[in-house]
Amino acid sequence: MHAATALSSAFRRTAARKRMVVLYWFTHTLCAAVAALPLLGLAIPQTAHSLYGDEMLRHFDLMYLAELVNAARDSAVGVGVMPGMLSILLAMLASVFLAGGAVKLLVRDDARYSPGEFWEGCGRYFWRFLRLALYSLFFYAIAFAVSGAINKAAVKLWGEGMVEAPLVHATWARQALLLLLLGFVSTAMDFAKVRLVADDSRRSLRACFGSVRLALRHIATVLPVWLGLGLVLALATWLYVAVANRVEAVSMGPILGLFLLQQFYVAARVWLRMMSWGAAAALDPVLRPPAPEPKPEPEPVVEAPPETPEPGPAAQEDFSI
Amino acid sequence: MSRIALLLLSSTLLAQPPEPPLAKPIANYDITAVLDAKTHTVTGHETVTWLNDSLDSVSSLQFHLYMNAFRNSRSTFFKESGGQLRGDQFKGDDWGWIRVNSMRLEGSADLTSAIRFIAPDDGNAEDRTVIEVPLPQSVRPGQSIRLTIDFTTRLPMIFARTGFHGDFHLVGQWFPKLGVWETAGFRYSTRGAWNCHQFHANSEFFANFGDYKVELTVPSRFVVGATGEQVRRVDSTSNQTSTYTFQQRSVTDFAWTTQPGFLRVERLFAADKETSFDDISAAARLHGISSDDARLSDVKMIALVQPEHREHIDRHFNGLRAALKWFGLYYGRYPYKSITVVDPPYGAGGAGGMEYPTFITAGTMYHLPPDALTLEMVTVHEFGHQFWMELVASNEFEESWLDEGFNTYSTGKIMDNVFGPSSLPIQVFDMNLWSLLKLPRITQESMDRAGHVSSPRRDDLVRRAWEYYDSSSYSLNSYMRTGVTLRTLEGLLGTPTMDRVMRAYHQRWRFRHPTSRDFQAVVNEVSGRNMDWFFDEFVFGNRALDYAVASVTCVRQRTPMGLFDKDSALSMVSRKDAEARDKKLDKDKSFKPDYLSTVKIARLGDAAAPVEIEIRFTDGHLERRQWDGAYRWAKFTFQRKAEVESVLIDPARKLQLDVSYANNSWKKKFNAPLSAHWGANVLFWLQNLLLTLTSIA
Ligand SMILES: [Zn+2]
Repeated sequence: MHAATALSSAFRRTAARKRMVVLYWFTHTLCAAVAALPLLGLAIPQTAHSLYGDEMLRHFDLMYLAELVNAARDSAVGVGVMPGMLSILLAMLASVFLAGGAVKLLVRDDARYSPGEFWEGCGRYFWRFLRLALYSLFFYAIAFAVSGAINKAAVKLWGEGMVEAPLVHATWARQALLLLLLGFVSTAMDFAKVRLVADDSRRSLRACFGSVRLALRHIATVLPVWLGLGLVLALATWLYVAVANRVEAVSMGPILGLFLLQQFYVAARVWLRMMSWGAAAALDPVLRPPAPEPKPEPEPVVEAPPETPEPGPAAQEDFSI
Repeated sequence: MSRIALLLLSSTLLAQPPEPPLAKPIANYDITAVLDAKTHTVTGHETVTWLNDSLDSVSSLQFHLYMNAFRNSRSTFFKESGGQLRGDQFKGDDWGWIRVNSMRLEGSADLTSAIRFIAPDDGNAEDRTVIEVPLPQSVRPGQSIRLTIDFTTRLPMIFARTGFHGDFHLVGQWFPKLGVWETAGFRYSTRGAWNCHQFHANSEFFANFGDYKVELTVPSRFVVGATGEQVRRVDSTSNQTSTYTFQQRSVTDFAWTTQPGFLRVERLFAADKETSFDDISAAARLHGISSDDARLSDVKMIALVQPEHREHIDRHFNGLRAALKWFGLYYGRYPYKSITVVDPPYGAGGAGGMEYPTFITAGTMYHLPPDALTLEMVTVHEFGHQFWMELVASNEFEESWLDEGFNTYSTGKIMDNVFGPSSLPIQVFDMNLWSLLKLPRITQESMDRAGHVSSPRRDDLVRRAWEYYDSSSYSLNSYMRTGVTLRTLEGLLGTPTMDRVMRAYHQRWRFRHPTSRDFQAVVNEVSGRNMDWFFDEFVFGNRALDYAVASVTCVRQRTPMGLFDKDSALSMVSRKDAEARDKKLDKDKSFKPDYLSTVKIARLGDAAAPVEIEIRFTDGHLERRQWDGAYRWAKFTFQRKAEVESVLIDPARKLQLDVSYANNSWKKKFNAPLSAHWGANVLFWLQNLLLTLTSIA
């Protein structure tokens, strides 16, 4: 299967379940609001009845940030740090939760959507996906470690020198490689989610490592998918920046327009996220044809407690491979 | 003859009668120095002539041996800086030092054995940056003495200001240099004494004026730049070295640089081309001087640039041209014939952004975006020290605001007027995200004020440089807060008066050594106002200035009720009648009621400054009030047939020291678009942040 076929299948699968996109977008918006509201709660009362606010509607004054810092010096933890951390934590948990339902439906190449099935998937796969997210940190760490090692090597090679150009060029190369690596791990984890759902397996660790192996073996198929989605995201970003830079947002009309554009952009990002799962779902049966004998063979790869049977889908699961 | 001397430049120049000095020469230096580029060691021979220009008999001399600041980790400089300065850290074992091999009084005794180290600032016995030498005989008032000194200087690896990196050498603070004899009445002195501070993390400049002649011998492949003008170059083919002679009269220091790879570019600042007739006549008119006095002179501009920064050569010169023009028009023409700007290589950033007489170091980076104006800013700033530090040679150790701060103020004016606001370089690949996202550009003025507003007031503005609470308090007060303070003074005095003040101060103290009190005296004299309160609050103190609109109320006036005198009789308006009348009037659309409006302005800080308040009414009427800020609040009442629409404190933003502009005004109407716009943007950026983070989940 070509990357293009996978992408078009992913598009179809996502388009058939727009409600999931809306739900995912809405959840992120709620989580963002947790951090946004305290900040706005500080800034709006300061400026909404001030002529300085009028000025800043036309041309934002970065100096005002210094005033905010000054005003929030004693309440920085309450206004910024705590809500920010809470917002990130909530968003992480919520997106792991929603991914279960979303992947469950995206794995099926049809247009069916039922809220019952969706929520069932959310609950059913939550712990598996959460473990997967934790295991995936290992590979993300490798990506950053590789980038860090390149940086270290570059500094060792050229850091004591008298020209900056090789270091800067190395940084550009490093940034590009890091992006590729992060994209690769993220894509491999999409395959892992699909595998957990398709096999109805609880072996998150196995899915994690297995999918990295799979993605590596089929890099020629997997990478173009990620690059294709990345290209669309870059294009959407460019479009957003181009339009947003031209909007004179000084009255309610254009501001509403800008707001819609922003939310459209965010929804597009969510759409692309769903598509990356959809593409993995489309490719999974091709790259990983079902084995003639589904009996899992023991794999003494990692030492871990043996798997124990589990009473219900929502109950606590073991650490299992 | 083993040595073939080649006179490249100008026996004619040397044959010309020397130009008279611009300043009375107190300490003259004649130095020969040979650089061993492999060991980064300078072997020097120095003849220093010192004139006792005081009424005291001076029985000893004090010298700076500043390279010893880099001798070990126990020097005062290292203790204060912790071995890192401006983001650069000292690594490895390339320490720097200076050793006086011999010191001899001309025609008299060898003083070498009498040299002893002193630490006048902190008593640190391990600091070896100042020496004292007792003289066999006191130097009488008006008498000159001459000493010859042999010294060896080992340069440290560059992390702060001076040293070497690879084959790049920036040689500053490198020779034994006299302190300043301060007689009673000179600056703050009450009795004659040497002012010879140790080398500190944040300060290093204070010296007498004098004439310098320095011969520098380096390997021939090295390009050289230095204070003053190069008057001769002699190449020796036998040992492949070249000897450059530099001369400069009436300066306070001498620094130089050398590196084989420098691109040396020379251009002329042609004063008549760079300044228009209007520029000159405007300056002449403002300062009440002739056009001849306002006119600038031609200056040779030299840039020593790293090959990988070739694309920035024009930017260096643009910075120099703007600075030569505007510092000249504001404060008086640049009196020297040359200015050299040095671009240190990558890894030697610690040597960048430094100032020495007629010789500055700027600095850029590979692919610095064209709209990130740090290169221009640093060039203008370091050039500005020719005016604040070099020509007006205040004491940087004791009153850093007089050079760093005055220079921040002047640099900000020139940058904002000539180059406009800047972006900040946030580089991803070769793109500047700042420009790509069209984030608001930043003026120097707002940068300074942002620093002032967001930082605590831990110190008075003026303190000795090493006695600030910490190094960020030093830089905040010496640079940014001074910039804001002087802009506030400008607001209070008006720009033309402030321009006259600054020029008068500069001209009066050019080639001299003023104090903060001298500046204060010029402010009072030129403005014709007593501004002592301003200096007490904001310079010798550091009070918080914060005015705010405390409350605005508009009460519709109703028909009066009760007993009133009418035609010498008592008349009564009953509650019922009054209410009935009000009810009728309420229905009358054409009736315009009276409002009693009360505006309360509060002084939230402990500083008071006169301020103007504008009250605008819904019918367009504008009222202006003055307030001295003496008490904690002030009340203004108005009875008009219109309500208050808005209140604005300090409409011209004269008081930039005010820590909040947001609370300086009030308007009746809630700014819904602003709230919506900010709300949308904050939400959007947070959504994107979260989406990026959760893409791992
Ligand atoms: Zn400076």
